[in-house]
Formats: sequence, C-alpha cells, structure tokens
Amino acid sequence: MSVTIIGLGNVLLGDDGFGPFVVEVLRRSYILPAEVELLDLGTPGLGLISYLCGSEAVVIVDTVAGVGIPGDVRVYEGADLERLPSHPRVSPHDPAVLEALSVARLAGKGPHDVCLVGTLPGSLELGAGLSPQVRAAVDVAAEIVRRRVQERGFEVQRREAAHVEPDWWMASKAGRFPLPCPRSKKPAEL
Amino acid sequence: MTKRITIDPVTRIEGHLRIDVEVDGGSVQKAWASCTMWRGLETILRGRDPREGWLFAQRFCGVCTTVHAVASVRAVEDALQLEIPANAQYIRNLILIGHALHDHIVHFYHLSALDWVDITTVPQVDSARAASAAEGFSSWPGNSRRELEAVQNKVKGLLATGQLGIFSHGYWGHPAMRLSPEMNLILFAHYLQALDFQRKANQVVGILGGKTPHIQNLAVGGVMNAINLNSLATFNMDRLGVLQSLLQGLVPFVQEAYFVDACLLASSYPEWFNYGKGVTNYLAVPDLPMDAKATRFDLPGGVIQNGSIHSVRSIKDWKDEAFRQAVSEDITHSWYEGNGALPPWKGKTDPYYTDFRDDGKYTWVKAPRYEGAPMQVGPLSNILVGYAVGHPSTRKWTDAAFERISSYGGKEPVSAEKLQSTMGRYLARAIRSAMLSDLALKHWQLLADNILKGDASTYNPPQFPAHECEGVGMHEAPRGALSHWVVIAKGAFSNYQAVVPTTWNASPRDEHGILGPYESSLLGNPVVDPSKPLEILRTVHSFDPCMACACHTLDPAGRMLATVQVL
Repeated sequence: MSVTIIGLGNVLLGDDGFGPFVVEVLRRSYILPAEVELLDLGTPGLGLISYLCGSEAVVIVDTVAGVGIPGDVRVYEGADLERLPSHPRVSPHDPAVLEALSVARLAGKGPHDVCLVGTLPGSLELGAGLSPQVRAAVDVAAEIVRRRVQERGFEVQRREAAHVEPDWWMASKAGRFPLPCPRSKKPAEL
Repeated sequence: MTKRITIDPVTRIEGHLRIDVEVDGGSVQKAWASCTMWRGLETILRGRDPREGWLFAQRFCGVCTTVHAVASVRAVEDALQLEIPANAQYIRNLILIGHALHDHIVHFYHLSALDWVDITTVPQVDSARAASAAEGFSSWPGNSRRELEAVQNKVKGLLATGQLGIFSHGYWGHPAMRLSPEMNLILFAHYLQALDFQRKANQVVGILGGKTPHIQNLAVGGVMNAINLNSLATFNMDRLGVLQSLLQGLVPFVQEAYFVDACLLASSYPEWFNYGKGVTNYLAVPDLPMDAKATRFDLPGGVIQNGSIHSVRSIKDWKDEAFRQAVSEDITHSWYEGNGALPPWKGKTDPYYTDFRDDGKYTWVKAPRYEGAPMQVGPLSNILVGYAVGHPSTRKWTDAAFERISSYGGKEPVSAEKLQSTMGRYLARAIRSAMLSDLALKHWQLLADNILKGDASTYNPPQFPAHECEGVGMHEAPRGALSHWVVIAKGAFSNYQAVVPTTWNASPRDEHGILGPYESSLLGNPVVDPSKPLEILRTVHSFDPCMACACHTLDPAGRMLATVQVL
C-alpha cells in the first residue's frame, strides 16, 4: 500500500496556489512514512498521468469551481469524480484530473482509491500568496489529508517545528539570495 | 450559407484557446485564434533578483516548466556575457532532450492520436492479422499478437460498459476517420505503451534536475549538480550508468513505434499534406550547444521566408545580432493599450480589455513579428531549417520518413515541400523525436567523456555590473523557438518579456491585418459536419497548442467546460 498526495495549481496566480501550499504545510508539519509521497505538481495537464500510474491511493488537492464562499472545503470521492462528463481537449493544459485517471485505469495502472480535496478560490489574480480565507482552508484541508492517510494504516507524526509557516518563497519580496550588488533605495515597482 | 463555429473551452474563471471559424461550402473561409486568459506573468519578475528569475519563470506554465527555466538562465547569462562550463551545457541539454521526448510522445499519442484513430472499430479486428501487419512495419516488440489481443480486450471491456468516460467526446464514426480497424488497434496499443516511455523520458529530467516538474538544479552560471566520481552522494559513475540505460531504453520506442506510426498515419491520410499550410515563414533557433562557449550546436537555427525552403538565413549562435534586431511584438489586435509594434526589450504589458471584436482587439496574445512578418515556429521549422542547411541528422531521418511513406504505398511521393501542411507538422515532430533520441546518447557521451577527462566543474559565479544590461535567452522548445528578453539594472530585472512559441503560432492579426499561423493554416480547411469540426481540431492540434499556462480549476458540478458552438 502506498499513498500519493498531489497538490495542483499555479503558485503565481493567488489562491490557485492552494494545492501546492497544502503540500508544503504537510511536508513541514508531519513526519510521514516512506510509503507516503508528497508532490507539488503545479499545473501538469496530461503530465499528471505519469504520477498516477503505479499509485494505489491518491489524494489530489486543488481549487474547485462551485457555489459557496471562498475557503469552503469540499471532498469528492473517486466515484463522484468519475460520474462527471468529459469534454474535448484543445491543449495539453486543459485540467486533466479525470482524463489522467481514466487513462491510467485503462492501462491497468491506475489508483482505485482516489479523492479530491478542494477549496473555492477567492482571488486568482496575478501574484503569489493566498487570501486569508483560503489560507485558513489550507489547515482544514491538511487535516483532512492527514486523517485519510492515517485511516489507511500509516503513522503520521506531528513535527515539533510544526507551527512554522512553510517557505513560500515566491511570495517573499526579499528574494532567496543575498543581493548581488547594491540596489537603489527604491526597488523597481513589482 | 456561412456558419460560424466557435471552439471555446471555457472554465468558470478563465479559458485558454478559442478558435472561431466561418465555414462555407464545406471549408473554412475566415479564422480567428484567441487566447482568453491574460498572459502577464512576466510582470511578476520586475524588480526581482535575476538569479532567481528561473524559479518564477518555470511556474509560468505547468507543462513547459523546464523550458522557461532554461531560457531564463540563458537570458541572464547573455546579459552578463557569462560563459558556463561544458558539463553544465551537456546536463542542460540532456534535461531539454528528456523533456522534449516526453512532450512529443504525449502530444502524438495522448493529445492528438484520437483525432485520427477510431477506437470503436477495435473490437472487430482479427488480432492475428493486425499483429502480422504490425510486424511487417517494424521490429517493435510491443506489436505481438498477445499484446494486441490484451489491448483489444481492454477496449472491448470499455465499450461494453457503455461508459466511454474520457473517450465519450471522440468523433467516432466521423467520415474523416479512415484508418483500417487493424491500424486503429496497433496505434491504440502504442497509445497505452507510450505511457511508460513518456514517464522514462520524464525520469531523465528528474534524475538530472533533482525533481520534476520544477527542476531545482539550475543556476545563473551553470548547474548545481555536484560531480565527483569518488562520492556516493554526488553525480558519479552509477548515476551516469542509470541515465545511460534510461536513454537507451527510450530509443527503440521512439524510432520503431512513434516514428513508424507517424509515417503510417501520413501514408494513410495523404490528403492532409494538402491542408494547413498557413504562414510559410519559418523560424528556428540554434540549440544543444556542444561546447562551453556555445559556438557549435547540434540543432541548427535559421530563418526561411516566403516558403523558399531551399534558402535559409542561418542563425549561427545565440549572439546573432540580426535576430535581436528583427523581433517585435504588435498589439493592434491584442487586449493591451495602444497599437503597433515594439521590440521585446522595450515591450509593455498594460492590459486593455474589450469584447471579442472580429475587426478590433480579440485576444490576450501579442502578435510577434520577425522583420515585420509572422513566423511559424515548432518542429516543422526546426526540420525545414535543418533540411535546407544540409544538417546530416535531419536529412537522415527526414529522408527515412519519405522512403517509409512511399514504401507503405503512398501514391504521391512526400517531399520537403509537402511538409508545409497539417500532416507535415505531425511528421516533423516524429522526425525531430527520432533525431533527439540519437542526440540524447551523443550528449550523454559528451558528458561522460568530459567528466572522465577530469573536468568536474559545473558553475561559474555571476558578477552583476552597475550599468544596465540587456540579454536574450533562446531555446528551441518542443513547440518551437522560445526567447526570454531581459533588462537588468542594479542587480534586478527592470523588464522581462517572454516571446513563447505559442505566441508566434497563436498570433492574432497585426496592424497590417496579416493573419497569424493558426489563423491562416485554417483557411481552406475542410469541415464536413460543422457540428463535429474534427478537421479543425486536426489542424489546430498539429501545432500542439500550449496556451497560457493557467489556473487549474476543476468543475465538480460537472458543467461542460468546453463547448463546440455552432452559430
């Protein structure tokens, strides 16, 4: 038995970074056994198939469209997802969760234990960082994922440094490195 | 009567590519390509440290992460006139080849094969006959009767449930689907086998890049892979061995399955060499440098104008001054403030949204121009440029494709001239893949030889000058010529513009009303049944569109996220 936890979404588009953020919070907060894999896959489109093939259980964390308020957390089991209609594909970018699952299954390598933990996004404007509502939803979603992993028989241990915020470097204005040379006092507008 | 067809995958929040065509008398008379999502991601880089630009750039786009990362570091290195060690060139090259093979395999099988392959005919196939036909085409071991029978049973099972799932949107039984049931089975068997090989290609990226998607090993000045043959913790002989066997494992699938399948498709659908020509100016940039100074390249670059495919102006290296002067982006028909064209280093990205206006602004994509003319980019440009300059590997694989197609009973011989078409773009991508699979082994050897010679260096530290400097980073990406244009002042980006392959190909009209490549390739495209515009998808898919790199929002309410609207 193994579990793959996949965060989807673009970290440069506001609340769309929800999935990757949940993955980073889980990474920072828990000691997970080797059979549990955490993946920030961004927006892989059809590239998702590779990561589904060979996994027995998959938890996908993503933003979802629906009626409600930003930060609402919804859980969809595999069977709910499979009932959705499909649509013609124009580019490799079109969201491909359902398609990737079906192709992986047809090849005989797909996971049978699937769930999607989603939140309704508030802002999807250009810029890194989550809105307060969606940031709060991260902890709710992380707890749902943790419970699900534990229900499958894995020991999930909380780290001592669990209260530390993940390194969400793309939202930091300071940058990752010491400055290469002195900058002007007023940095260029972001 | 003129019918207007809109193919528009709309999600609740944003969309990607929208194609509008007007059909009359069974073919397309007018066409518009529109990107329905704002592509302003570059603005996030202004004011940032150039050494971390690539970390942001690889998040522009979820499918093409690697290509933006590499173009970004190359742009900064160009601005700083910083050379990188030979090992760094080879490691980057192997990552780029691994990514490209993954991308091309996924495009052919998982993104576009079902535009040509009708899986609903598979149950009626005599699998013994199919296997003997397939064995006649190639020595690919995945063509055995047992293998084909297993795939046939899977398809039967799928059809028997009546729940086609993802395949329910296929245009099954469409009159433009004309492969024999045996061929449909063979190609669909390879569709499933391709899953393993695209994953292997992606593993190459992961081993060298530390992680995929979103590689972690780049640096302005080289790569961060530590090389030490005596250390278990670094890149050593073991790792080189793993890499070599992965690459060797890819070659048979690419050359004996994918390449052969593309030739079979071409010989079965010869009429598609007559459609989809479109813009006949071609641009390819040099890539896969063979030395530290990047003076010699394994993929040649050049410019072909007005379909004169025998005369090329070569782009010899990344310093090419003519290229730097030639590129501009026109915003007359794009949702940005103003009109006319600006060079990328002076480019502006100030949004100005109107509705979709046939004669006005109708897309978020700018219109890149080369000396004022639209250019087609992608594997076809890559192959045409290589063929024209007599590049040995391009010649070898292109001629092999032509011979194979005639040996399959193609009535008219295929020539370089004919490649300028919808089918030519599919074929060129397969030719390029075969070539890249050879080059993967070559660049592995270059890396191994250089390391064994005693060179372990992978990084030259960058120095940032106080004065302003400009740079351009090029990469011949899976979808074509990519260039990142940067201006650096006082150690930070003051401007950043990415001119991406899909911007060239999905370009709207410009200030002179000249159509972009998608648009003009659709003119004259047949459409038998406007409610099932399969033929339009074939031509659009031949470019392998990759639109703005997007929000990834699923609609669990189950709403149709894409519509084929017939007005």
